[in-house]
Amino acid sequence: MNRYDQLIADLRSDYRPQREWGEGRGVLMVVGHFLVGIAGGTWLMASIYGVTAGLAVAYVLAALGALAHLAFLGRPERALGMMRHFRTSWISRGFVGLALFLVGGGIYLAILLVASGSATGLVARTAQAVAAVGTVVIIGYMGFCYTASKAIPFWHSPLHPALYIAYALRGGIAALLVIGAAAGAAASDGLLQLWIGVTVVVALFFALEIQGAWSGGNVAARWSVRDLLAGRLALLFYGGTLALGLIVPLALLAASTAASPAVMALIGLASAAGDFFMKLATVRAGVYRPLVIPARRQRA
Amino acid sequence: MRLGMVIDLKRCMACYGCQMSCKAEHGTPPGVFFARVLKREEGHYPTPRMLFLPVLCNHCSDAPCVSACPTGASHYAEHGIVDIDKDKCVGCRACMMACPYNNRYFHDERRYYFGEAGPTPYEEICSDRHPEGVVMKCNFCRHRLAEGKDPACVANCAAKARTIGDLDDPNSTVSRLIKERGGFTLHPEAGTGPNVYYLAP
Repeated sequence: MNRYDQLIADLRSDYRPQREWGEGRGVLMVVGHFLVGIAGGTWLMASIYGVTAGLAVAYVLAALGALAHLAFLGRPERALGMMRHFRTSWISRGFVGLALFLVGGGIYLAILLVASGSATGLVARTAQAVAAVGTVVIIGYMGFCYTASKAIPFWHSPLHPALYIAYALRGGIAALLVIGAAAGAAASDGLLQLWIGVTVVVALFFALEIQGAWSGGNVAARWSVRDLLAGRLALLFYGGTLALGLIVPLALLAASTAASPAVMALIGLASAAGDFFMKLATVRAGVYRPLVIPARRQRA
Repeated sequence: MRLGMVIDLKRCMACYGCQMSCKAEHGTPPGVFFARVLKREEGHYPTPRMLFLPVLCNHCSDAPCVSACPTGASHYAEHGIVDIDKDKCVGCRACMMACPYNNRYFHDERRYYFGEAGPTPYEEICSDRHPEGVVMKCNFCRHRLAEGKDPACVANCAAKARTIGDLDDPNSTVSRLIKERGGFTLHPEAGTGPNVYYLAP
């Protein structure tokens, strides 16, 4: 179906799916959110566990995420103007946070690499603090972008920010597992247990969100849940999110007595891929609030 | 002054005059309707009936599209009209996700009604007004208002179902219609303060 026919068909449907984020070039926005989320989580986890390679990976992921965001925009050459409205716009706040992260993180990493692992000077500390502020913002802002979307009742949930924060943490742990495997190190029990714990939190938040959307009064939110669990997005959800993102890593974890680097890498990659499909599926499940035609006389 | 519109659903006969006159006025690309008419059939034989709902941007007083816009492209113009500065828009489409009335469109690429035959002279003129890569929407025909004219959809409504006026003035026609006929808005639960009111059929 060409774009015009799609537009007309959507305008005629009672439950019009949003196609701007998540379809066509809109996939780049989901890719951007995925990469930036993982970058924030990886920077945080790498800072906690003291993994310099993790900081470098986080920086590269954030830079790639920023490029994906720019490629998604209709007019990327005007992107600097996005810093203007941080007081009301979550996208603007995210842009500012990402800029802080890239500037602060870049300086801190450069000092860290030049000083061979020691960065205790004032400039390094300041850059680290700026990057930390950026990290907090990029981990947090994405969920709020969706929650602020009043047109899409499925996203307009207070749980969305918590879910995206949990995704970022899970992504960060997954990245550390892959980085550890690449270095040939065995997985620490603590990291794997943390992955299990955060995965349980993600699953819990997601189940609560689905339950809220299904049992709430909004028909568009219920339509989104139906699309996700038993409709046009079921394959993406069951295959990508549940099988790849949850069952495969848990099966690997259960099957291997000693967490070898290869198993760790597979767990990390499957977990991250599952998170991507989860984000893609929930973004694509967005259905606009329907405009109801009044049938009877109503009084204001 | 707060500009608003009242649409009398008892008068509307779904002739699509508003939709067509809006397209003619703005020369919007295929698939883009700043004003459109929704239709639904209700009931069963022998008492079925058609329900109509003309929709357009609600020019909300607390517009979520304005808050969501990262660049300030979506802004309040004179008399509370919500408009887009197409020279500022980056095409992030956050406003489209924020608008509970689905009345914004993203102009991703130039399209013409006659495909391979290329643009008509009229489309050539109009397409310059709609740059690609930005979001577009109804602006209550600000250019016509500036000339003292009604918006195209109001001026061309054959049934005179549409009225535009000052909602802040309790003696204006729109304020009186809302008060006397119990005007209501769409999705009041969204809390956006829409300035397009409907009178029940």
